[in-house]
Amino acid sequence: MRTWYFSEMAYHPAWEKGLSRGSLRVNFPNDNLDPAEAGKLLNRYLDEFALCDEVGIDIMVNEHHSTATCMTVSVPMALAVIARETKKARLLTLGNPIANRPDPVRVAEEMAWLDCLSGGRLEMGLVKGAPYEIHPANSNPGRLMRRYWEAHDLILKALTTHDGPFSWEGEFFQYRAVNIWPRPIQQPHPPVWMTGMSVETGTLAAERGHVVGTLLSGGLAKPMYDAYRKRARELGWEAGPDRFAYAAIVGVGATREEGLRRANAVADYVRTAPVVFEPFTNPPGYNSIGANVAMMKAGPRAHRLVTDRNGEPIDHRTATVQQFMDTETVFAGTPDDVFNQLKAFNTRMGGVGHLLFFGQGGYLSHQDAKENISLFGKEVAPRLLELGIPEEAAAAE
Amino acid sequence: MSRQITVSGVSLQIEEKGQGRPLLFLHPGEGLQPNRPWIDLLAQQHRVIAPHHPGFGGSALPDWMGTVDDLAYLYLDLAKELQLEKAVLAGACFGGWIAAEISVRNTSRFAGLLLADPLGIKVGGVLDRDIVDMHGVSRTEFMRLAWADPAKGEIDTTKLPETELAGIARGREALAVFGWKPYMHNPRLKRWLHRIDIPTHILWGEQDGIVSTAYGEAWKAEIPGATMETIPGAGHYPHWEQPETFAARVRGFTQRL
Repeated sequence: MRTWYFSEMAYHPAWEKGLSRGSLRVNFPNDNLDPAEAGKLLNRYLDEFALCDEVGIDIMVNEHHSTATCMTVSVPMALAVIARETKKARLLTLGNPIANRPDPVRVAEEMAWLDCLSGGRLEMGLVKGAPYEIHPANSNPGRLMRRYWEAHDLILKALTTHDGPFSWEGEFFQYRAVNIWPRPIQQPHPPVWMTGMSVETGTLAAERGHVVGTLLSGGLAKPMYDAYRKRARELGWEAGPDRFAYAAIVGVGATREEGLRRANAVADYVRTAPVVFEPFTNPPGYNSIGANVAMMKAGPRAHRLVTDRNGEPIDHRTATVQQFMDTETVFAGTPDDVFNQLKAFNTRMGGVGHLLFFGQGGYLSHQDAKENISLFGKEVAPRLLELGIPEEAAAAE
Repeated sequence: MSRQITVSGVSLQIEEKGQGRPLLFLHPGEGLQPNRPWIDLLAQQHRVIAPHHPGFGGSALPDWMGTVDDLAYLYLDLAKELQLEKAVLAGACFGGWIAAEISVRNTSRFAGLLLADPLGIKVGGVLDRDIVDMHGVSRTEFMRLAWADPAKGEIDTTKLPETELAGIARGREALAVFGWKPYMHNPRLKRWLHRIDIPTHILWGEQDGIVSTAYGEAWKAEIPGATMETIPGAGHYPHWEQPETFAARVRGFTQRL
């Protein structure tokens, strides 16, 4: 299991205000942000990313818009800085919200540029994006995944065509001369990642051999990974753990208490991030017909719940660290604790090759964040690298 | 009363009732509801034909279809298929937008155009929102804006069968496909409304909070000879909230044709 550190570069000083208004996204006015403070925080977060290179773990960046939960507005912009400050870490975009991007060729150019700049260290996540990203981008939620796949195909075509220009006259995108300069170092193109939470996504990712990642819920991850493995087998190949990624909050400390304290501070991100004005949570077409039928049958509900391993409902907005540990949203404690928890998780999932290490939510101090990264990098990450397909899962097949 | 018909390769579910001068009713973005008293009332004078738009109810939305232009041509083909002559073309809300797009193209099968609180044109400046962002307000706020009496429009979805719910969910997605961007209008339509060459009557719910009566006046100003009446005690859906008054006003108009 490889480790990829990430943080959303949150603007947590505005969270209390956002929570009291009932929305931290889309309709939370930016006069609640002090730009000078934002600048200090961005520099601090970038220092935390740079530290990962020193302790031997990889780096992931994502983006959101119009929100106090994430100041990264552009994956390539953040990675451009990080690429210059690091030498060894692989750099993952997870991701580029390509269904909301008007210009996929620009995405291909940016990814090729980053791959050149970083000496071929780029891993390229192409994602659908969260439902509340629809309004800020004003992208059409109807036929969203058709647009996603057309953008995906065009980006890969742009990255792999070296005798261009070529033209593209599709349903959503039209170009007369695609011929990107520079082109990527990695051939035929940087590795592609996707994200998802459904069996359908697992199947579709398997058909392309992409890495598929999910976040914060082991209960949702397992069926998706299983669907991927099954589809790969049908297509005549065996999907190893390196095809699967899982994002979780991790708090590690010299003592168990310290690890739990750090995880608790990072977990405030998860308690805050889902607080968004209701109409932005389910734009029409974003979720499947089946999911919408189920929501209408259930009637209006105050909020959505996930369940822990025993099927008990957990409310992300108020959950304790222990409850988050029960849903596999959090791994926390001493380095030994965290390694053992992740080893058991790897077994339950049938082998997960990538841990997306959510190690800074906002409220964690710079000192704590640095110690969290260093301790994990030195004491946990090297041992995780030796985890492969779990023996139990291998024996069962 | 309900049947499937294939027009231009698209399988449409249409509701039909009554006899007399044909009236093609194009439903709002919220779809045709399970109870449609206005159809019963209109059917006392007319052969009412009410298709479910592609994607709504039992009508298919083929992959190739995705604009209100497509809907306009589809319904022109439907009118031809049903051999409608001197018919009334009526549209409410989103259906009013479609009816206008039909009428700027070809009115040969229609004797009159009836618009009820239509969406579809851009009137104000770049910072003016002519049409409320119905997808950017809470359900409670939407109901408050769209109804004079929101209680009249409440539908308990927990009691509906799954097939009906699937039709609603598909319809919501279809409305986004057709009308998300630019939001519920065609920036060029207003410039072509002068082409409408049949008598046109506009009805407006006095308490419509989605599109104002001033927006209705802009429609009236662009369509040659158009007349306009308001309906008290009604919001954005006068046909649904005040079906008796709505039917009476339609009768008043169609008797002039």
